[in-house]
Amino acid sequence: MSFLNKKRNNLSLSKIPKGWVLCLYSCLWLIINTSCQKEVKEIIITSDDYHKAIDKITEVMVHDIFSPPVASRIYNYANIAAYEVIRQEGKAYKTLSNQLHGLTAVPVVDTTKGINYKLSAIVAYLEVGKELLFSEDKVEVYQDSIYNSWKLRDAETFSDSKAYGEQVAIHIKNWFASDNYAQTRTMPKFSVNTEDPSRWQPTPPDYMDGIEPHWKEIRPSVIDSSSQFKPARYPDFSLEKDSPFYKELMETYEVGMKIKEEGETSEKLEIAQFWDCNPYVSTHKGHLMFATKKITPGAHWIGICKIACKKTDADFAKTVFAYTKTSIAIADAFISCWDEKYRSNLIRPETLINQYIDENWTPVLQTPPFPEYTSGHSVVSGAASTVLTHIFGDHFSFDDITEIPYGLPVRSFASFNKAADEAAVSRLYGGIHYRAAIDLGLDQGRELGNFVSKKLKMNTAAIEVASSK
Amino acid sequence: MPQGELFEKLTSEVTNVTFQNTLNPTEDINILDYLYFYNGGGVAVGDINNDDLVDVFFTSNQGDNKLYLNKGNFEFHDISEQAGVTGVSDWNTGVVMADINGDGYLDIYVCAVVGLQGLKGKNELFINNGDATFTESAAAYGLDFKNYTTAASFFDYDNDGDLDMYLLNHAVHTQHSFGSAPLRTKRNYKSGDKLLRNDDARFTDVSVEAGIYGGGNGYGLGVATADFDNDGFTDMYISNDFHEDDYYYLNNGNGTFREVLKEKFGHTSRFSMGSDVTDINHDGYTDILTLDMTPEDETVLKASAGDETVDMLHMRIHQLGYHYQYARNMLQINQGGTYFSETALLSGISATDWSWSALFGDYNNDGEQDVFISNGIPKRPNDLDYIKYISNEKIQEKLNSSEIIDNEALNMMPSGAVQNYIFKGNKHLTFENKSKRWLPSENTASTGSAYADFDNDGDLDLVTNNINAPAAFYRNKTNNTSNFLKLKFDFKDKNKFGIGTKVISYHQGIVQHKQLFATKGFQSSSEPVIHLGYGSIAVVDSLKIIWPDHTIQVAENVQTNQTLTIKLLHKRDKVEYTKLFPKPKVWFKKMDSIPGLKYEHKENNYTDFNRQKLIPYQISDRGPAVAVGDINGDGKDDIFFGNSKNEISEIYYQTATGFEEQKMAVLGIDRQKEDVAAIIEDFNNDGRNDILVASSGGEFYGKSKKLIDRLYLNSEEGLMKAEFPELFNHESVVRPCDIDQDGDLDVFVGSYAVSNDYGKIPDSYLLVNDKGNFSIKENSQLSQLGMVTDAIWSDFDNDQVPDLIVIGEWMAPRFFKNSNGRLVEVTNTVLNEKINGLWQSIIAFDIDKDGDLDYILGNFGLNSKLNASSDFPVKLYYGDFDENQKTETMLALPKNGNYYTALGLDELSGQLNYLKKKFGSYKSFAGKTIEEVLGKEAVAAATILEIHQLASGYLKNEEGIFSFIPFDNSLQVAPITSMVKYDFNKDGKEEVFMAGNYFGVIPYHGRFDGFGGAVLQDENSIIGGEELNINLTQKSVRGLNIINFANNDYLLITINDEKAEVYEFSE
Repeated sequence: MSFLNKKRNNLSLSKIPKGWVLCLYSCLWLIINTSCQKEVKEIIITSDDYHKAIDKITEVMVHDIFSPPVASRIYNYANIAAYEVIRQEGKAYKTLSNQLHGLTAVPVVDTTKGINYKLSAIVAYLEVGKELLFSEDKVEVYQDSIYNSWKLRDAETFSDSKAYGEQVAIHIKNWFASDNYAQTRTMPKFSVNTEDPSRWQPTPPDYMDGIEPHWKEIRPSVIDSSSQFKPARYPDFSLEKDSPFYKELMETYEVGMKIKEEGETSEKLEIAQFWDCNPYVSTHKGHLMFATKKITPGAHWIGICKIACKKTDADFAKTVFAYTKTSIAIADAFISCWDEKYRSNLIRPETLINQYIDENWTPVLQTPPFPEYTSGHSVVSGAASTVLTHIFGDHFSFDDITEIPYGLPVRSFASFNKAADEAAVSRLYGGIHYRAAIDLGLDQGRELGNFVSKKLKMNTAAIEVASSK
Repeated sequence: MPQGELFEKLTSEVTNVTFQNTLNPTEDINILDYLYFYNGGGVAVGDINNDDLVDVFFTSNQGDNKLYLNKGNFEFHDISEQAGVTGVSDWNTGVVMADINGDGYLDIYVCAVVGLQGLKGKNELFINNGDATFTESAAAYGLDFKNYTTAASFFDYDNDGDLDMYLLNHAVHTQHSFGSAPLRTKRNYKSGDKLLRNDDARFTDVSVEAGIYGGGNGYGLGVATADFDNDGFTDMYISNDFHEDDYYYLNNGNGTFREVLKEKFGHTSRFSMGSDVTDINHDGYTDILTLDMTPEDETVLKASAGDETVDMLHMRIHQLGYHYQYARNMLQINQGGTYFSETALLSGISATDWSWSALFGDYNNDGEQDVFISNGIPKRPNDLDYIKYISNEKIQEKLNSSEIIDNEALNMMPSGAVQNYIFKGNKHLTFENKSKRWLPSENTASTGSAYADFDNDGDLDLVTNNINAPAAFYRNKTNNTSNFLKLKFDFKDKNKFGIGTKVISYHQGIVQHKQLFATKGFQSSSEPVIHLGYGSIAVVDSLKIIWPDHTIQVAENVQTNQTLTIKLLHKRDKVEYTKLFPKPKVWFKKMDSIPGLKYEHKENNYTDFNRQKLIPYQISDRGPAVAVGDINGDGKDDIFFGNSKNEISEIYYQTATGFEEQKMAVLGIDRQKEDVAAIIEDFNNDGRNDILVASSGGEFYGKSKKLIDRLYLNSEEGLMKAEFPELFNHESVVRPCDIDQDGDLDVFVGSYAVSNDYGKIPDSYLLVNDKGNFSIKENSQLSQLGMVTDAIWSDFDNDQVPDLIVIGEWMAPRFFKNSNGRLVEVTNTVLNEKINGLWQSIIAFDIDKDGDLDYILGNFGLNSKLNASSDFPVKLYYGDFDENQKTETMLALPKNGNYYTALGLDELSGQLNYLKKKFGSYKSFAGKTIEEVLGKEAVAAATILEIHQLASGYLKNEEGIFSFIPFDNSLQVAPITSMVKYDFNKDGKEEVFMAGNYFGVIPYHGRFDGFGGAVLQDENSIIGGEELNINLTQKSVRGLNIINFANNDYLLITINDEKAEVYEFSE
């Protein structure tokens, strides 16, 4: 059986090794004599197939409306599952088991079977992603379409590889089942207490509850604890006109006024909108309500990772590696950031400005429903850009096309770090943060990104240099 | 189309009426640009040519308005063109027929939205030339407004003999954030309402001097007028959409109004739309119905945006200064002109979908007011799937770039065309849904509507203005099967039609009370006549006609089945309103204060729902404890008040002149505790009274020390904490009794709930006393006794030893016989009914005066979304549905034989995340039964708690066997939480005073605030409202005590989160 299997695989290879010509003849004979069977062809899977799988999960994520922290958890586990498969294909990448908190070695491959690792990796990715998303049916439609095309080419390899991918997915599911996510679902809601003037309150127009008040309870992947990268303190809350805090408040207010004055041509406006990355912006028109849905900050950086992979022609394994490492940093960055958010519970500028300065002022962006400090986009951009710089090098210029599907233009950046700087300051322009949350948030994210980059031993130096041109 | 039993829809072949309000969304005007694009047109009816046939005027939002002349037999003739009334405005809204110049001919005032998105035109006044033609004269009268008008109402607010006008306008801005309530005081020309005084055919804006709000946050959709307090001056109720409060203007009689909504109403509709007012309960006072948009149909209800969150409500109320508003119809029952008590849920008319126009009328001529409600919307913009999933995919980019309408995207909103509603009025504040029987079965978007007797057969016919469908006439088929009176008026001066005239009809001791106003419903005016139904009554004893000039005339022995034009008699009496509507002798009088007694309970800010998101109500707001007794041994009543977390309990000693708070260190150490029950008794038989305090509070759980009760023994050194069994329960009640007859007081301790595990049944205890040392008496029947709220020691089996009755929530009253100091349950032998309730309070009282003790039981009442019966109990599913080692509860309510979750998908999945995976859309969730939501296995594994009876009532004792008799609906408007027995009127017989109300629920349930208090004398005598001179509406009463001060008895009322109140008894 295994002999036949091997032969069939060989048959479909596009480059046939010279010494195997005889074998080819016998196979042809076999095919002629079993002409009722389908022709077996090699299942060819490229980096692009992985990008497509990532895009699919992103699309369903947008549909289902996941908050940024929860979305980061989905990318994280799905990519780790794929990584733990694909790193077995060569010797370039090391396992993450025993490097990530609580992750044990995935089941070993039955080497007697002809496993297509890339196929298994995508299966593992989609299975884990599907488990974490709500609209399973939407993932299943996608799975059916690609699985069918693979199955038609080589049913047996497909079936064995799919089985292995699912096995790894189950292993990863068992792992993340203990990350406290389920427990955090039933933890108390954020208690609004408006007597404390500095305490966060729900914001217009939906006045939603503070989301994920217990996200710090989620087990991180790499960092030691949610508070390891606790940021420096923001200026003490004060409504005294000459206090540093009040000055920051006024900066946010005035930037917003300036942008409104400049109108549609304002570059700050363009920057704010480009990096909005708010998964659910609601518009009220009387009783009519609309949602404008976009990707999250994490998903935007996943998109930048894709751009970098494509620009460098990264092979499948490197592609998975890059996504995985970036996802891990993003997920831990959210845990770190949310730890601070619900420690400081700082009120949003919109609330203060409406209360004390200008009741008609509205921010350029819709204020997202959680406390202000630190800025999630800043922390996440800091972390993701640092990891991407480690992988692809500094001064990596790129055209950011990530937001095109959401009606936004292309922006070009000289490096990941420059992009992160702009992502961070966009929150000030957007009127949803004070300066400290941006500057100190970037610091928090970069330190965390460095830590993740250094702590994780995923690839050998030789491979990294070789594949990053 | 099947015809209705009472109403037959007439086709345009019969009527010749082809009018239809067709909406054409354009680039300039559509639902994105104008929030009220789907509000539709209005209809006005009246006899414009004085031929005794009622004619009809329809407004078309975008097209020509139409006037149809009634030719008889429901045949109409379009005279719009020759009459000159098609109008000039681009967007017409409301319309009213009124004789504005006082010449005896009805004129027509047509409202418009002007200035928005380039809409041109003005409000137009068509003055009747007397020959079926009209002359537009708005400018000459000063009524040519170019703003955002919904409707107008003409009435004589200053009683000077001519008709003034209230102009109802609406804001058009989309609220990004709520402005604060005081915005209503900043006048805004386009959006703000206006009051116009008629000064010799020239109208003057008197809004400011009259005290009328006109802010940019007024979303006026309804104006109703009546003399609500029966003082002879016309008052107003204005419905406002969205967060702006409705306005209740009482006419001061001097040209000014005072707006007192918050004081007089516990809560109102949130998206208040059209309204109507009439006296539905025959007490001579006008009641109010406001409409909202809550669907009845589960598949629509659960797919539509629901109620706001606790936090959001809190913000609107406490930060922004708005009043309590909930999204459903509200029926406000007028309590003798002093305040209103809201009963729409009890009355069965709370949910009629996207409702525009309410019209009270006696449609079957049986003497009870019925109500017609037009409803429906072409597109449901609050469809959750549309908001969250569909709109994004279809409309996002278009919206971002420029606000260009995308019809395809808008068309994906589900249709909201539905059947109109009609309810038959019954007695006892209830209505019966007759929509499917009385009306033809047809789905429409019917907006403006009016009633009139088009065919002069004595019953009220209906006409509706429909969106994108022909206007509809409904012919009433009551005909001569039931008797009626139709009254027209020939009043004087510039108010010939007698707008504002009151009629009080008396027959067989029954009062019917009506006041004549034309503007009612939504954007419409009805026939200016008063119509009364009389069933089989041939002769009406008397009719009192009260004219707007404060005079009265009486007609006696009036034959029914005729149309009368009441002429003004020369000889009329001046009305003495206080005699006509006499103030009864009152029972109580509030004391300003008793010196030194300044207790005010402050509930700490703790929301149980933040921790257990799905529990049916709070468990942390059941305080404060209160106990009255002589603590310092001077023979005078002293008071112990418990307190909530972080506040120290308070003890007041009575002095010669008042009360004096005693600060005691021993109380301070327990300030963290939440006290919900206390008793003052001598527990160690040393001749000094001691205090036992029971602690509770949902924020403490497990073995929290904050839950331990405390016994203060009294000695010469004062109060000292003594040993007491460590009970970590959430107690609700402690009741002393010497159960073992050994000369000292034993105590029953009842427990209420388990923190973080609501639904689990806690243990209750009997503590036996041995010289001041208490120990738990083992009794398996008391463990998991129930969610106890109250208990009473009472000798129910008449064997001269006190027995125990325990009541609580999700349980029936339980009877324990005292058998030689041991409690033995005998419930099954003395109570033969399944009456699990949400029982709140119990007191022994011989209500039927037969010499044995009956038991008065306070329950949750019938004025809630909970609807329980023994066949279809309310169910609470309790279990760990998401397998996370924490329990959840799910409240399920019966509807048409199935059980549905009370809450929607967002609320449920907020706790049970997996439901989001199970239901990928709101549509897939809507209409699913509890079994389908939870799954059969989870349902089978769940513990189910039940309620069969929610009415308050009494257990009637018939030779030791008890049967439950519910009270009248007037006692079912809110939970009855406290009762006290005393001879208040000094007639030698005891009465029971009862009070209640409860607010610890999510906005889905609203606020149970409408019970003002009542006195129960016997089975047939309930006294409430104004007669008591106690108004406890909007107050959550937790304690009623009789307290003796300076040798007089007083009633002490302890209230959650409020000041305690003291009342004396009127002689």
